Amino acid sequence: MGVSAIDVRAAINQPSIFRLVQRKIFNSAGWGLCGLTFLLLGSAMVWILKMVFVRGAGALNLKVLTHIQIGVAGGLLNAIEGTLVLGVGGLILSVPPGIAAGIYLSEYDGGWLAPVLRFMSDVLVGVPSIVVGYFGYVTMVATLGWGFSVAAGSIALAMISLPYITRTSEVAFRQVPRTLREAGFGLGCKPGTVIMRICLPMATPAILTGVLLALAISVGETAPLIYTAGWSSFLWTGHLTKEPMGYLTYAIWAMITEPQRSAHQLAYAAAFLVTLFVLVISVIARVVTFRRSGWGQHA
Amino acid sequence: MGVGIEVKDLNAWYGANHTLHDITLNIPANQCTALIGPSGCGKSTFVRCLNRMHETTPGAKVTGSVRIGDVDVYNGSSPVEIRRRIGMVFQRPNPFPTMSIYDNVSAGLRLNGFRNRKALDEIVERSLKQAALWDEVKNDLKKKSGASLSGGQQQRLCIARALAVDPEVMLMDEPASALDPVSTSKIEDLIFELKSQYTIVIVTHNMQQAARVAERTGFFLNGRLVEFDSTHKIFTNPSDKRTEDYITGRFG
Ligand SMILES: Nc1ncnc2c1ncn2[C@@H]1O[C@H](COP(=O)(O)OP(=O)(O)OP(=O)(O)O)[C@@H](O)[C@H]1O
Ligand SMILES: [Mg+2]
Repeated sequence: MGVSAIDVRAAINQPSIFRLVQRKIFNSAGWGLCGLTFLLLGSAMVWILKMVFVRGAGALNLKVLTHIQIGVAGGLLNAIEGTLVLGVGGLILSVPPGIAAGIYLSEYDGGWLAPVLRFMSDVLVGVPSIVVGYFGYVTMVATLGWGFSVAAGSIALAMISLPYITRTSEVAFRQVPRTLREAGFGLGCKPGTVIMRICLPMATPAILTGVLLALAISVGETAPLIYTAGWSSFLWTGHLTKEPMGYLTYAIWAMITEPQRSAHQLAYAAAFLVTLFVLVISVIARVVTFRRSGWGQHA
Repeated sequence: MGVGIEVKDLNAWYGANHTLHDITLNIPANQCTALIGPSGCGKSTFVRCLNRMHETTPGAKVTGSVRIGDVDVYNGSSPVEIRRRIGMVFQRPNPFPTMSIYDNVSAGLRLNGFRNRKALDEIVERSLKQAALWDEVKNDLKKKSGASLSGGQQQRLCIARALAVDPEVMLMDEPASALDPVSTSKIEDLIFELKSQYTIVIVTHNMQQAARVAERTGFFLNGRLVEFDSTHKIFTNPSDKRTEDYITGRFG
């Protein structure tokens, strides 16, 4: 006799005691681990946010946002400006080549170059950021004679962002269904047109997420900038080389080690601003990911 | 005006899987030719060889010759050139989800550099009317995404998109398999209307449909063309035993 549908249903409806116990144990173990992880991550986050927000918000005022630093007092305007300039500079230098590399890896996979590129990109992710900074110092700051500068700092940040943008772009392009490329080819579009006009619009939300995360990482970096952008408590005068630049993460590190209360206030204000910035970027990235226009509707 | 298609010794592979064996046939101009056969016998693969779509699949290979009108498809012409002259409707609807209905229909023209607004408006309207979709979408042409339509509407959108570039040959791979009887008969009416100007190749599992729309019918089995003749002959007096078994429902 074979197994009938009735047997199957009976087995589902009345599982053996052993199965029931097994299920209970796995169920509670699963929930327990979830809870524990949540508690660990949650309390760490709450603790950090509380410290940064409570002490940072207290230290924040209009003067901090509108004045440059004077010794261990004054404001953070120079550092805010530097973080924005360096962050945007890093993006300008890393987004176009990152997307291009992602397109290459996804659309022209097959030759020997793609695996090599992917390997190098993975290695670059693993390089400690201080090494990137020191590399920038030796090559750009010293050998090329650029000095501490926006150019050197932006390039160092771009080197850190590049592998993230490459990887997210590759994945984003791979997610575009084959059937849509075929639709494009069927209409007589050239391969370049299919990539840029059909695949790119579909990949954009995912790429944007990667770009925003890369920006968040750049804004939080200190090590690669110490050796390349240097430090300055003045506003930028627009030179790309031979002009050091301030940025918020350095302000945190430098001010918290000073004994004065005014220095600590500045450090907490800077920490608050960096955290807020990263938080806002992450939230935007999440929202973008959830609102992928048209995604999920195409089978 | 449509053009005829001459296929000689066509063989196709997916990797090591030899999918089509020595297909030779002549598809006449300005007529509808139906391809029938059991699932997996190679109908889609055959149709995809006609406009060089097969080779876009990684590992795919084609040998033999295909002539469309005076163009040698596999010798001396670019795939892009070929595909501009041949419209294709796929087995599964594939509208561009990031584009509006209007942009979907006009995609073949816009993406290839055609920008005349007024002409585009006219072509979009005409193509949607031909595909029997105009009345359902005319009010949200630019508001709705192509992916927001129902499956059957999406397929008609894809038909309109293929018509908009005014091809000489229309390849339709089971265009009506996702449609209800009313839309199906609209598509069949459309095929009737188009036959005077285009050469149509339609893959179908529905033998009544083949009998209704096609002058000629080809029967595929296991990657080979078993019989190719006038539709009337195939359905009333096939010369091959396997064709007869298939159309009388003894297998397949
Ligand atoms: N992308 C692919 N990769 C590998 N093999 C494939 C691929 N597509 C189709 N095949 C194989 O090629 C053969 C022919 O497939 P094809 O899609 O042409 O059949 P079909 O006649 O259109 O069937 P259906 O009526 O189900 O659409 C099948 O055996 C299938 O397994
Ligand atoms: Mg098929």
